[in-house]
Amino acid sequence: MAQDSVGLSSDYQFWIQKLSVWKQASTLETQQDTCLYLPQFQEFLRQMYEALKEMDSNTVIERFPTIGQLLAKACRNPFILAYDESQKILIWCLCCLINKDPQNSGESQLNSWTRGLLSHILAAFRSDIKEVDLFTQGLGYAPADYYPGLLKNMVLSLVSELRENHLNGFNTQSRKKICLPVSAVLCLWLRHLPSLEKAVLHLFEKLVSSERNCLRRIECFMKDSLLPEAACHPAIFRVVDEMFRYALLETEGAPEVLAAMQVFTRCFVEALEKENQQPKFALKTYFPYASPSLVMVLLQRPKDIPQGLWHRPLKRISEMLKEIVEDETQGSSGGPFENWFLLAHFGGWADIAAEQLLTSVGDAEPPEALLWLLAFSSSPGDGPQQRAQTMVEVKAVLSHLGRLLRSPTLSAGNLLAAAEESREGDPRPPACQQLTRRLLLNFLLWAPGGRAMARDVITLMARTDEIMHEIVGFLDQTLYRWDHLGVDAPGSRKLARELLAELRGQA
Amino acid sequence: MDSLLQQLERFSEVLAVSRTTHVSTWDAATVRRALQWARYLRHVHRRFGRHARIRKALERRLQNQWKQEGGSGPAPALGLTNFQALGHCDLLLSLRLLANRALGDAAFHYLLQELFPGPGVPGAEEGTLQGSLALLARRRAAVHMLRSSAYRENPVLQEDSLMKTQAELLLERLQEVGEAHAEGPGRFLSRLWEHLPHNNFLKVTAAALLLPPSSPRHQEEESELGNPRRAGERGRELLHWLLGKSEVIVAFCRNLPAGLLTSVAGRHPEVSRVYLGLLTDWGRHLHYDLQKGIWIGTESQDVPWEELYGRFQSLCQAPPPLKDEVLTTLKSCKAQDGDFEVPGLSIWTDLLLALESGA
Repeated sequence: MAQDSVGLSSDYQFWIQKLSVWKQASTLETQQDTCLYLPQFQEFLRQMYEALKEMDSNTVIERFPTIGQLLAKACRNPFILAYDESQKILIWCLCCLINKDPQNSGESQLNSWTRGLLSHILAAFRSDIKEVDLFTQGLGYAPADYYPGLLKNMVLSLVSELRENHLNGFNTQSRKKICLPVSAVLCLWLRHLPSLEKAVLHLFEKLVSSERNCLRRIECFMKDSLLPEAACHPAIFRVVDEMFRYALLETEGAPEVLAAMQVFTRCFVEALEKENQQPKFALKTYFPYASPSLVMVLLQRPKDIPQGLWHRPLKRISEMLKEIVEDETQGSSGGPFENWFLLAHFGGWADIAAEQLLTSVGDAEPPEALLWLLAFSSSPGDGPQQRAQTMVEVKAVLSHLGRLLRSPTLSAGNLLAAAEESREGDPRPPACQQLTRRLLLNFLLWAPGGRAMARDVITLMARTDEIMHEIVGFLDQTLYRWDHLGVDAPGSRKLARELLAELRGQA
Repeated sequence: MDSLLQQLERFSEVLAVSRTTHVSTWDAATVRRALQWARYLRHVHRRFGRHARIRKALERRLQNQWKQEGGSGPAPALGLTNFQALGHCDLLLSLRLLANRALGDAAFHYLLQELFPGPGVPGAEEGTLQGSLALLARRRAAVHMLRSSAYRENPVLQEDSLMKTQAELLLERLQEVGEAHAEGPGRFLSRLWEHLPHNNFLKVTAAALLLPPSSPRHQEEESELGNPRRAGERGRELLHWLLGKSEVIVAFCRNLPAGLLTSVAGRHPEVSRVYLGLLTDWGRHLHYDLQKGIWIGTESQDVPWEELYGRFQSLCQAPPPLKDEVLTTLKSCKAQDGDFEVPGLSIWTDLLLALESGA
């Protein structure tokens, strides 16, 4: 007990000094310092209360003659009063000073002083918003009635101002910088759906208007928006996911939206792993319509698997999806769109599948599972026959490319023809065309012969702005993926970078 | 029912006394009884909150009482003003007693023991007086903190958080009053107009008329009694009253900033009609001073040229149909005056000329 009280005494000195420096926390420095120490100060207050409650008011003054100063200064600091339970503990401490039956003028004065301070805590800062007080009184409302609404509005306007500052670059010259901790933003979003929706829409606007085709920048914006972190809470994840879903439906699968969703999912998974070793919520709460085992496989990080073994999870994913999608009796795991939507979150897998097919072109028969996965991801609505047809086309393209690889007559024209001419001479459906373009681009990056003709082929390919846009997007996504997976391919990487810079310069 | 109303009346008396020096005669037992009474009424609030008939009856009685006490008059409201206040009546009583210096030391000591028993079972704080009082102090400090370090008055008045809050409260109160009495809102607003500072009241009215209409989803969130606000109807009674009182609408159009009025007029065509009418009226009061070469008024309350021009300019920056309506009005006034193109003959000509060159 003696040891405790010694500890308390030295702490006491420390805090009285601190409080004198902070005063009413009216400058930025005092505010920041106060905020830094709030939890410890509250702990100290608790210890003080534990000591004080055992004493009567005279003993308190004997033991801590300057207690009045300490309590008064604390009560004048709005940050302390606004923090957690500090105001309550201060009140308890003050209650310990009240004498039920004062015997002399000294004790009466102490009572009076203490009552004054108690009044102050409960009625402090009244003159702050006189007009508002007057008006609300006129309406018949007490502060207890309207403070919640007022706080909500003040915080909301702060948040939207912060967000604007944030996304337009910080311009803190005109005002002090205020940072809301993630937990506060999370609380706000959980309690007030419109502000979450606004945050997501704001992000969409930003992404679609200015950051097309640069996934690294998109990732920055995504992380700054705090949405991936907040989405660790399933309720928030579901709302954001819904909005992506609608955006995809409305834009009929626009590549920008897809890319943004993939970045979001990546950042979200990263945040999830950072937060807990043990996930707090079951996967099913995030993806309620999907088969849990499928989700588990999709969530695997290719980074954690040796490159040579990537075909395994790919095969697994393909088989599982095939089973779900093509087996009509399975009602519970959602139709083709739902499963395509799920796969689209983890778009990397389809890209890896394409790459795998190309890097092994000419070696052996392309695995059916990979072909199926590619066909599904580019055209989820196809029936089984249509899909089989696509797979056959893709196989043909691959074998043609493989033959060209070894042929002395390899030229840009030949390559393009290989990719674009269909077996029957009929034009391929657009989704299939997109797919074969992707394969060709992969070929250009990986096959040694392809690299030499890359620029020529691309020039021939990019007949429209849209296609050019697609190519730029492909290169950007590929580089982004390679960076994250640590793919070691210096030659391909260099080529991709050069091509991207050239094409961007042209645009 | 009657006994309930009696209880209500007696407690209101207690509440009134709690602010006076009369409490010097109170001892611990009196304090205890008063707190118990408050607790009972809180229980009534909880119990009958969903019982529309009883709630209405209580609401009506409280509002009448409040009116009789000269509510919203120069003296602040004396106590229970509506049914919702019953939910906080113990808080209200406690705050008054805590602040009342006339309360004796022994009684005060007892009060503190009752209100602040200290750390107890964690999680049992919900709904206790200790919790509510601490929360009140906390929120008050938070408002002060935000206000002094992070708040700046928003130049777009209707988006200012303080304005918005007052506007939301006004509409909320109007709804309650409307539910208790059909003609309630109009009389209520007139009373507010008599007793509150006009400038702030007008701004709040404008902000209220510019609040977004509640969407169906938000209605479910916000409605307490399962009596949802119909979207867009929130400001209807307010608008009706505003347009019905010439003194108010004139002050509204005269004193509020041009941009704010343009927004309101854009949203509510009835207001734009009255506003334009007033503007044309004010314009007709001005005459051309040949020597100085400007339009001036003769009386002190005449709206000066600059202000008139400023308001028309703001209106012309509004999106159609308001903008078109304004230009049509100006052109037709100009035509009525003789359709002159030369300045100095018709104020409408001059305004149009100035607007065109300024644009």
